[in-house]
Amino acid sequence: MEKFDAIVVGAGPAGCAAAYTMAKAGLTVLVLERGKYTGAKNMWGGAFFGPVMGEIFPEFRKEAPVERFINRHIISFMTKEDCLSIDFKSYHGDEGSSPGFIMLRAKFDRWMSTKVEQAGAILATGLEVTDFIFDGSRVAGVKVGTEEFPGNVVILTDGANSLLAKKAGLRDDYKAPDLKQGVKEIIKLPREVIEDRFGVSGSEGVVMEFVGACTKGLPGGGFIYTNQESLSVGVVVQLSALLENNVKASDLIEDFKEHPSVRPLIRNGETVEYSAHLIPVSGVAMMPRLYSGGILVAGDAAAMVLGTGLILEGANLAMAAGIAAGNTVIGAKALNDFSALALSQYESLLKESFVMKDLQTFRRAPHFLENPRIYNDYPEWTCAMMRGIFNSTGKARRNILEVVKESMKGKIGLMQLVGDTLKARKAI
Amino acid sequence: MKIEDKLSLNKFDIDREVHIRVDEEKCKECRLKPCLYACPAECYVERGGRVVFSYEGCLECGSCRFSCKKGAIDWVNPRGGFGISYQFG
Amino acid sequence: MEIIVCIKPVLDPDLPPAKFTVDGKKNEVIPPEGVPFVMSPYDALAVEAALRIKEAQGGKITVLTQGTKYAEEIMRKALAMGADEGVILSDPAFEDSDGFGTAHVLAQTVKKIGKFDLILCGRQAADWDAGVVGSLIAEYLNIPVVIRAKSIEVLDGVLKIERISTNGSEVFELGLPALVTLSSEMGQVRIPSGWGIISAAKKQVPKWGATDIGTDPSQTGAAAAVNRLVKLYVPVYERKCEMVTGKDPAEAAARLTEKILAIKP
Repeated sequence: MEKFDAIVVGAGPAGCAAAYTMAKAGLTVLVLERGKYTGAKNMWGGAFFGPVMGEIFPEFRKEAPVERFINRHIISFMTKEDCLSIDFKSYHGDEGSSPGFIMLRAKFDRWMSTKVEQAGAILATGLEVTDFIFDGSRVAGVKVGTEEFPGNVVILTDGANSLLAKKAGLRDDYKAPDLKQGVKEIIKLPREVIEDRFGVSGSEGVVMEFVGACTKGLPGGGFIYTNQESLSVGVVVQLSALLENNVKASDLIEDFKEHPSVRPLIRNGETVEYSAHLIPVSGVAMMPRLYSGGILVAGDAAAMVLGTGLILEGANLAMAAGIAAGNTVIGAKALNDFSALALSQYESLLKESFVMKDLQTFRRAPHFLENPRIYNDYPEWTCAMMRGIFNSTGKARRNILEVVKESMKGKIGLMQLVGDTLKARKAI
Repeated sequence: MKIEDKLSLNKFDIDREVHIRVDEEKCKECRLKPCLYACPAECYVERGGRVVFSYEGCLECGSCRFSCKKGAIDWVNPRGGFGISYQFG
Repeated sequence: MEIIVCIKPVLDPDLPPAKFTVDGKKNEVIPPEGVPFVMSPYDALAVEAALRIKEAQGGKITVLTQGTKYAEEIMRKALAMGADEGVILSDPAFEDSDGFGTAHVLAQTVKKIGKFDLILCGRQAADWDAGVVGSLIAEYLNIPVVIRAKSIEVLDGVLKIERISTNGSEVFELGLPALVTLSSEMGQVRIPSGWGIISAAKKQVPKWGATDIGTDPSQTGAAAAVNRLVKLYVPVYERKCEMVTGKDPAEAAARLTEKILAIKP
């Protein structure tokens, strides 16, 4: 039976980056994907940030199925009836220099996996890895039902629900407070309508993030991303908060779509897909062991998600970690040593890269972002303040400071505000 | 928009093998029934005080398995190639 | 036993109806983006039938497919299931052929391969459901054909076929070479194994064009099409519900009968 240099479980961003790196270096690589086709099981909000994509696929901007390049961010605090937004537009250069872009996973993953195949890896879809082959305590390959696939190293990139990471002894199950549930609808609209409503043209795109009433004040947020001819509209909420408060994300997304500030943006749109996914959000606090004899883990399976505030970044970290994993295996192959010690190089590479540096820098952010005031009191307060400022009652007006004080009354203590601001400084 | 209408937009290759098994006997003793709020596809519904589960609309997110404290949910992915296939993602 | 199987990529028939749209002006189906085509399920039955014959008595299976974008993918699938070889027929001259053109291309390919005992096809393609290509290939090759087979056996060089008929089934015996088209009653199609997928990924699949197989340019392509598509549309089904009531079941039934009788065919 043929033995592969590396077996990659899961053809998402982490798995494809690892497989591509190794296959290009001439290693024999098998990628096993459980979806009917690559991308079939995957969803994300839709925005990807950072240069890592261009580093691994220099041709990416020309070839990849990018929906839109992000040049506008809108952050909104919303109450049931109000919405206060910060709207940031950026017109530095052309799309080529945009630091972020919007893509749809089914198309993007398919593009990426084609690259992986072209580099010489074997991609086998429709195969769910169920177990490992063990050589003592060392992982020596994988099993799909009764079929065995021997390999020197297994790279585990099978996503947030990785039952295999647990089987390999790298971690316990994640816990509900460390997970966020994302639900999303793809809403079809003509390109011209999207461009008019969102003030973009050509390949420009918008990322909108909402905090407050869209999650009924639970930790999380709402989002709208512009694709070429559709919108990605969704809600992300802490899973444990849903369970404790008897709230369903499927209801939240309906309410979100009905909010007076959202409804006009999606008007006459046709929903064409509904998807859901879990996101591990507690960063280093929930990270598993990253390697063991014959095995490495990367991406969501290793909780490589960076929450810096409103946006959760995962795919760029996953790809960087995939590259590091790939390079580790290339090194191990050169020495023909796949022991835990040899594979510990992976952790060193990650520590040198932005992956662990960023996760360390923002290690306090997940806890800070659980603060309920962010999702309840601050949206209420800021919107009340704006209402006060713009409200013309026919009576003599008060100055702005008094309006601010009035709007805080009974909602937020000054000390709390100062405290949260200080915590925010440390955390994000 | 109702959840059934939303799910009818998705492509599913439904396996005859059930990938999530729910021990509905254990659910009888469960008062809070958090699974009802965990599932974004509303595959868990309450009927006459009982939890009724159907796997056909499962989006394979895994939320339910983190919700159950009674150990009533036996969760694995569907067999390779089966289950949800997203067109957009 | 040399078996040739013809397969076609089609829009996944399991797509939810909401994803099926047509361009009424161009008379074209608009394939939903991001969803790959699949091997027509009837053709998958043909591959399965070939594999069962091969398992019973040995032989070689060669798979043919025509087309461009997803031909390679469905070919890999057939090879992964266990077929031995494949040829992709690809040439701008073949594009937009109708069933007659396609059958010409396939028949020419079979002639070029030369040696064969049995050709297997699906009873029809799961997209247009015309169901003519199998019979036309047999016509062009001047060999016997049986359509809509539910089971197929080869005993001492004689084919024994049970086929679906309007009122049940019929059993035929015929000599080789012959062409048989397979129907869903044949049963389950195997799922490729992992190692099957791996070995399929490593196989070379040649592409043959018009000059390789010597097709007649006047018989392929849109210009040669015998069929002309007049109108393509998604039918709209209207459902109306009227509750028929009465003071007792007898009265309700009487009223219902009246309503049914009032419906003009």
